[in-house]
Amino acid sequence: MSGYVISVAIFVGIWVTLALSLNILTGYAGQVSLGHAAFFGIGAYTSAVLAVRYGQPFWVDFIAAIIITGVVGTILGLPSLRVRHDFLVLATMGINFVVVAIFKYVDFFGGAMGLVNIPAPSFFGATFRGGTPYLILVWGYVVFVWAVSWYISKSWVGLAFNAIRLDEDAAAAVGIGAARFKIYAFGISAALAGGAGSLYAHFIGSVFPDTFVFVESIAILSMVVFGGMGTLRGPIVGAIILKAAPEFLRFVQDYRFTIYGALLVLMMLFQPMGLLGDDSWLWQLLKRWFGKKTVAPSEEVAQ
Amino acid sequence: MKRKTLLLLVGLLVIGLLATGCGGSNTGPIKIGLFSPTTGFAAADGTSALQSAQLAVKMINADGGVLGRQLELVTYDDGAKPDQASSIARKLIEQDKVLAGISGSYSGATRAAAPIFQEAGIPMISAYAIHPEITATGDKIFRVGTLADVEGRVGAELVGNVLGTKKVAILTIDNDFGVSLTDGFKAHAADLGLDIVLEEKYPLGETEFRPIIGKIIAANPDAVYMTGYYNEAANFVSQAKDEGLTAQIIGQEGYDSPKFIELAGPASEGVIITTDLNRDSDRPMTKKFLEQYKAEYGEDADMVGASAFDAVQLLAYAIKTAGSTDPDKIAEAIANLKNFEDVASGPFLRYTPGREVVRPVGAQIVKDGAFHFFHEFDDEALITAQ
Amino acid sequence: MPVFQNLSNALVLASTYILMAAGLSMVYGVLKILHVAHAAVYTVGAFTGLVMYTWVANFWLALFGAMVVSGVMGVLIYRGVYFYMLDAPRTVPLIASIGMFVMFTDLLQKKFLMGPYQKALPVEGAGMPALNVGVVSITSTQMLILVVTVALMLGVYLILSRTRIGLGWQAAAMDREMAGAVGVNLNRVVALNFFLGSALAGAAGVLVGAYNNSVFATMGDIVSYKAFIIIVLGGMGSLPGVIVASILLAVVENFLVASVGYVLPRDAVAFLVLILMLMFRPHGLFGRE
Repeated sequence: MSGYVISVAIFVGIWVTLALSLNILTGYAGQVSLGHAAFFGIGAYTSAVLAVRYGQPFWVDFIAAIIITGVVGTILGLPSLRVRHDFLVLATMGINFVVVAIFKYVDFFGGAMGLVNIPAPSFFGATFRGGTPYLILVWGYVVFVWAVSWYISKSWVGLAFNAIRLDEDAAAAVGIGAARFKIYAFGISAALAGGAGSLYAHFIGSVFPDTFVFVESIAILSMVVFGGMGTLRGPIVGAIILKAAPEFLRFVQDYRFTIYGALLVLMMLFQPMGLLGDDSWLWQLLKRWFGKKTVAPSEEVAQ
Repeated sequence: MKRKTLLLLVGLLVIGLLATGCGGSNTGPIKIGLFSPTTGFAAADGTSALQSAQLAVKMINADGGVLGRQLELVTYDDGAKPDQASSIARKLIEQDKVLAGISGSYSGATRAAAPIFQEAGIPMISAYAIHPEITATGDKIFRVGTLADVEGRVGAELVGNVLGTKKVAILTIDNDFGVSLTDGFKAHAADLGLDIVLEEKYPLGETEFRPIIGKIIAANPDAVYMTGYYNEAANFVSQAKDEGLTAQIIGQEGYDSPKFIELAGPASEGVIITTDLNRDSDRPMTKKFLEQYKAEYGEDADMVGASAFDAVQLLAYAIKTAGSTDPDKIAEAIANLKNFEDVASGPFLRYTPGREVVRPVGAQIVKDGAFHFFHEFDDEALITAQ
Repeated sequence: MPVFQNLSNALVLASTYILMAAGLSMVYGVLKILHVAHAAVYTVGAFTGLVMYTWVANFWLALFGAMVVSGVMGVLIYRGVYFYMLDAPRTVPLIASIGMFVMFTDLLQKKFLMGPYQKALPVEGAGMPALNVGVVSITSTQMLILVVTVALMLGVYLILSRTRIGLGWQAAAMDREMAGAVGVNLNRVVALNFFLGSALAGAAGVLVGAYNNSVFATMGDIVSYKAFIIIVLGGMGSLPGVIVASILLAVVENFLVASVGYVLPRDAVAFLVLILMLMFRPHGLFGRE
């Protein structure tokens, strides 16, 4: 496989984890966030600072990125407790702006000059920047994030998230403290995004503030909604298609974003549940072709 | 009959094998890659870079190409995003098999692509991205644009020694371009004993300068060193005029675009900028570039374009000098370059060991609605990157 | 810097904010959709204004034309896209709106439309007088913005409070279903609402383009979030709220920069104010929710 294809696959993998992590907050817990790129950035910068300023090896700053971003995400989730729906969207937007402004204006984070010379990870003595080993690393993380998402969806935490998403007040009435679970959602979602940030930083080798702006948050949310928010398969497919699309659309290079935007509008008009959402045309088709054959008497009559 | 056919076939086969050469065609076009942002917020600069590079290739090919072969420019849009530049770099190297690459993009994207070119041993030239770490990536990475640090120092020289002013206010854009420029300015200003009465940063894309102009007026400087791109500069300059700021405004190559004059209108009159594109130049390549760009695209060229144009010219020269398509020889040719005249913003005197270009830095003044020659700085100590 | 000059400049800046946000407030008030595409309507208005001004050299005609074109665009967006999403979960119209914004902005940046470079819109105040009263000086372009904003806001106020359609809008803003139940023609109210709100956005685009003497495809980027900050600060769906919030925000921004400079970019400051507001007074200054 050529280095080009591998690098695209690596970026796609990183964005898949971003979409999956946002899905936990937005798809499961129903907290629509337009600031996810902030957590991506916090993870990337944490790794960058630890690597460049403190000479820490990859594994240290990768784990640290996850933990620290999770903690910061939990804290940043606090203002969100008092707001819902559209206000929450704007608050998360605001968090994104403030975080990027801090990266840009505070010298410790490199300011406008960013942080460069982030070393490649080394594992048992072999360094690998890019190439198949890094691909495996990234997609290993994808599997991990997917597993976490799957586990949450089946667990008590996931049920609580679901309850909050559907009706916060009703959930509170049966003893599910919305505040507590919202914080969990922010924390977990942020932590996983932080890991993605670390992988990104070590792959590219440099971090600059403008990579993590609000526009990127929009892109990530679009992937989740496009693929099918709240499902496990949706964000993965959404991220793969929308992240790889610019590469495939290079033949219509000049109009890539016009097509991208139009795609989003059309999808929302005709398949608002997402490409692989529960009631989507494609998902129904796949279920018919590959799903379990259960023919109930009523179904036969209906035919 | 059969033997003759066999002989013919063998002959054709031998010729065919010879024609393909060892490891690649040597009669087809020579490919060089360019990535620049033609979509998104940086589309203006990306378009200038792309159009200028394409013009350079056209001109070179009309003159017979390089080493008897035509030059082909493979271009991609990176939207000024590091991850796109990173993938594009690999694509150019592996799929398009370019001989060398040019970055017509911003620092973040260029810095992401540089290590990939370096590792593959393919030379890459940064047209106008000024982050110092770009050339530090390795011995295959060169820069055409004047290092911001150098330009900043020239700015201080301009203010202190050429204009003879002492009190300066600094207003800088908050990205790496502005910060580098200001650092250079302040370093040399300290040497000259200039009095910096105010120093402020502002965000990229800012359109409302009136409050900060008020602060500047209160500090009463003789000159204002304001860094930014043509749109921020145009807003600043016209608002400064409205609010009554009379100090001399000094800009840099970020202003160097006909758009600055168009958007600022009469307020641009008298602004002096440090830049390398001399509209009044007698140098043949400069005149050629300015005329042909206007003829081809119907608008005046800008500094970003000139940088991309020169990057192509530099590569063509290096390939010709090396006499081969060997990337090591090409990089060597650039490193050993002396007094290269065939550029719009030259001459290129030489390259430092750090792969930064050493060339005279100019200053232009806006007079009668156009850029004109104001001064040229060629003191070696001043213009050499440290 | 003389306080009064700063204040005067802030009022002009506030006027641009009012026009950007008022239209959005009207749209949001009834449909409760995060209409990010409002920023695209704004940019299209600016572009239309530029084209017409170049063509007929009359600012008022250009302004009128821009408002009409923007208004129509807004109605089309409503009827062609949002209409089908009124009962869908909130993310659906949001993503659709984002998609439209991305699509239009990219399209506008192509050479055959606005191109990647900025273009000048030199209206020279369109005949408005400049004002110099002692410590305060107002340029003719600044005067133009103040006058047009006041006139348009007055017009909107009259429409909303004196016409049947306007009253219908107020009812629909308070309770959409109930308004429908008492016979308000929702579809028409919303459509007119979109027309008016989008027309205001178009006017905002032209005026900001004239104020900064530059019109370009990505000029809507700031509007895509700043307008929302203002309507939240002022209280969702409240027009007086938009006016007060715009003035407050512009004044705070100006005075902050005039005193301590850009500690953080202006937009980050605006968002900090927003977050604080959301934490302590989520329904904004004048809101009801």
